[in-house]
Amino acid sequence: MELNVSIKKKLPHFDLDVSFSCRRSRLLALVGPSGAGKTTIIRILAGLDRPDEGRITYDGETWVDTDKKIFLPPQERHLGYVFQEYTLFPHLTVAGNVAFAAADTRDVDSLLKRFNIRHLKDRKPDMISGGERQRCAICQAMARHPRLLLLDEPFSALDAVTRQSLRAELRTLKQDLSIPVIHVTHDISEALYLADDVLPMVGGRIVRKWMVQFMLKGRPPARQRVAEGMNSSEHDSRAGEDLSVLYDSLKAVQ
Amino acid sequence: MDLTPLWLSLKLAFMTTVVLVILAAPLTYLLVYVRFAGKTFFEAFLTLPMVLPPTVLGFYLLLVMTPQGNIGRFWQAVTGSPLIFTFAGIVAASLVYSLPFAIQPMKAAFEKIDRRLLESSYVLGLSPLSTFFRVIIPNALNGLAASAILVFIHTLGEFGVILMVGGSIPGETKVASIAIYEAVEALRYRDAAVMCLILVPISYLFLLLINRLTRRQIYGT
Amino acid sequence: MRKYVTAIISALVILGSSFSAAAGEKLLVAVAANFILPSGELAEMFEARTRIPVEATYTSTGKLYGQIVKGAPYDLFFAADEKRPNLLFEKGLCDAPFVYAQGQVVVWTANRELCGAAGWQAVVKNPNVLKIAIANTESAPYGTAAMIALRKAGLWDMLKAKYVFPQTVAQAFQYAETKSAEAGFCAYSSALSDKGKGGCFYPVPEAPAIVQAACILKRTEHRAAAEQFAAFVQSPEAQKIKEKYGYR
Repeated sequence: MELNVSIKKKLPHFDLDVSFSCRRSRLLALVGPSGAGKTTIIRILAGLDRPDEGRITYDGETWVDTDKKIFLPPQERHLGYVFQEYTLFPHLTVAGNVAFAAADTRDVDSLLKRFNIRHLKDRKPDMISGGERQRCAICQAMARHPRLLLLDEPFSALDAVTRQSLRAELRTLKQDLSIPVIHVTHDISEALYLADDVLPMVGGRIVRKWMVQFMLKGRPPARQRVAEGMNSSEHDSRAGEDLSVLYDSLKAVQ
Repeated sequence: MDLTPLWLSLKLAFMTTVVLVILAAPLTYLLVYVRFAGKTFFEAFLTLPMVLPPTVLGFYLLLVMTPQGNIGRFWQAVTGSPLIFTFAGIVAASLVYSLPFAIQPMKAAFEKIDRRLLESSYVLGLSPLSTFFRVIIPNALNGLAASAILVFIHTLGEFGVILMVGGSIPGETKVASIAIYEAVEALRYRDAAVMCLILVPISYLFLLLINRLTRRQIYGT
Repeated sequence: MRKYVTAIISALVILGSSFSAAAGEKLLVAVAANFILPSGELAEMFEARTRIPVEATYTSTGKLYGQIVKGAPYDLFFAADEKRPNLLFEKGLCDAPFVYAQGQVVVWTANRELCGAAGWQAVVKNPNVLKIAIANTESAPYGTAAMIALRKAGLWDMLKAKYVFPQTVAQAFQYAETKSAEAGFCAYSSALSDKGKGGCFYPVPEAPAIVQAACILKRTEHRAAAEQFAAFVQSPEAQKIKEKYGYR
């Protein structure tokens, strides 16, 4: 099961242009400062947005092909998506949420147990904590036995302690999954902790591995080379700033 | 004293409310979630009944509902009886008259629903239609209730339009507002007063209900 | 020089105001809606003769009555019946009423196919006539007259399913003219109007004449002018105008 992505889209501040793939049982982290286009990519993968140009295939099945005018709607892609918030339906209980699109309602109970939220099953989303909500959201997404799991900054709205514990839980969960997982975050330590592959992004483009090495070597000419590698000018102020941010955060984690 | 006009008013208000809430929901969905050319013109057109003087609206409805008019002719062909001067006719007129009042609260309620909830639903495999019934409606119940109540009291007080297309037929189209007016014209002030005394508390009660519902929205359910 | 100019200007102003005192004389009349057309012509003629403008408000007799009782500042009241002026007289709000016109109820239809019928009864009994417009029988004199005629002809109960009751006789004509109702009991004056000529009418001898009475309101501040107008409306010349519009 492999996901192959190659898309371009014109955005207000820059042009998005990325290509990558993700294999089963691997977690790919898309990391970078806010506004780098990470969420757009995830939305395009989910079918909630369209690229201007490009192809997305999963396991041989074409989801998007702008040349051939193919577009598979989100309902048919069979994936799971966890937003930062507002994933859970406020009018349903936790059990109701998980059962909402579950393939088999008999699974609901075991799912609740597995994600350690069974004790919350009759509560509504506004009566549980933020961390519990996100755990429920992940459970809800998994209830459908998705082929791909997308996580869009799922822990960013939570406090540091909860974030740590949920990260650990996700890491454990990941080991049992046989599907690709794409995880968006602006926190590079989170990315490095969870991911099998890290894709740093700046200004709509992926910063290649060799660029990362270059940056970590730390000298200004290196930064310029990176900028060229990304087809943007270091003097292009927005890209330049983002690069600095990425560079600093990479250094911090090193 | 003959209280049939009051029953007629309540019957009219009830029927209009039920039909209009069902009709207005998909229309509101269109206005909130679907992008199409000329949407602003369409929306303004739907708001017209709120700004037109009732007698003007009534006059146009009269022309359209007579056996020669487009709608009147269609109705006659389908049901075999005329539309004008019948209870069905004043229900139809009330639907037009109260349409904007049904749409506004619903629109506010739909717009308050975070789009991500809908997107979550699509990703989980629900079609837009299923999402409408299983996500949008359950999360817009307060707005739907407010719509229903607003349409109900608005129809109770309807006068100018019904005057034009109703024909004031006792037991059929002579609703309370018309009966009160005729009582005053005929100098039967006591009869008019009695009917008002019954109508006013009903309307007031419903207004209180709206207040309670909308307040709950503000402070969170 | 300046004193001279001031004197002239003051003289002009005084003269002017004394003219407008006479010209400021104007009559406000409340007129039943059905009498709108003859009333307009009568007012014009009166103003041409006496330089006293007559401003009229046209609406249903019932509404005008209500307004007058609440103190509306009319000088004269021209009703569509005798009842309301009599009530005002009893209340001491106006002088003794006088009859100023008599109207007639007719059955009018816009439907040319109904134009060769034997009489009004044949028209209302015709199975193709599904709806008959009758002005509110309680508060509109033309409606009351129509009901009396139908009762006299023994048709009132039989045709109950056909009646629609607009508020005024003018609205009855509107219903008939727009073919919302296949026929209507209308004012003779409507039948004689331009729109009325597009259809046909039948006299209704069983209906009593609509005796329309008027009175001068006691609160008028232009009594002399009001009396002049009242007299004019009852003059032979005024009669000719009224007959033109179907009134006697």
